[in-house]
Amino acid sequence: MGLIKWERTGPLDTLAHIQGEMSDLLNVLSSAPRGEGYAAMEFPPIIVSLNESSVFVRAELPGIRTSDLDIQVMDDVLTIKGERKPVAFGVKTTYLRRERSYGTFARSIMLPEKADVEKVTASYKNGVLLVTLPRAAEAKPKQVVIQKA
Amino acid sequence: MEIKEHPSVEKKKIAPDKCVLTGKGDWYFPQSDIYETPDNFTILIDMPGVDTEHITIDLRDNELIINGEVSQEAYRDEKVLYNEYAIGHYHRHFVISDAINRDKIEAKMSDGVLSLVLPKAEHIKPRKIEVKAE
Repeated sequence: MGLIKWERTGPLDTLAHIQGEMSDLLNVLSSAPRGEGYAAMEFPPIIVSLNESSVFVRAELPGIRTSDLDIQVMDDVLTIKGERKPVAFGVKTTYLRRERSYGTFARSIMLPEKADVEKVTASYKNGVLLVTLPRAAEAKPKQVVIQKA
Repeated sequence: MEIKEHPSVEKKKIAPDKCVLTGKGDWYFPQSDIYETPDNFTILIDMPGVDTEHITIDLRDNELIINGEVSQEAYRDEKVLYNEYAIGHYHRHFVISDAINRDKIEAKMSDGVLSLVLPKAEHIKPRKIEVKAE
């Protein structure tokens, strides 16, 4: 018959355990990307920025052919549609790990301002899509000259 | 009905206590796919925003270490209104075995996706042994 050592648990052991759990939880929370707190993230993730002349929309879309992307602007709504196609496999190929996701997506973004639809340009570089939307003339601030009476 | 797949968003930050990181900015864990063909293994890694010049791939002992750095200069004169993804560098490492011919590893970067082709070593490829008649 074997003897089993009785583990004497002090009252502080439970506290240490709770502390460990809490720090794990904090680690999980702090590893989330910044800028969260919005609704559940949709694909592709975007960054909207602005300067005096244009509104910029950037989207992380690695590994997409530009022919598989469809970008439309209507008034102040920008729509990005597309498909991320999986690698064309031959026979005898097997996945060992699959983390990247594929499929169709569509996303509409409300722009902060009306864009000059005719002059919208888009570029795709290193997997990041950049849509440049020049601000419509009426949206730009207009200097008002005060006239002397 | 046809079931369609839709991509999802997932970006994990690397906790600094898990590895030693140098340089400014945050580091992220890029998503990757690995698949096997009769002649080689292929690793695909998503690294949006990384230039070909800013990728370093090191092979140390059994570890294949991949670092991709992002430059953030383009954002300087812009005011960010809405932000869903954080810009940061990418780091990932894989442990590889003797089954790989290390001299012939090839890397290619296109559209933010790094693809690494790791050819299998000759000694693990299936071989047919001929039976000799006496």
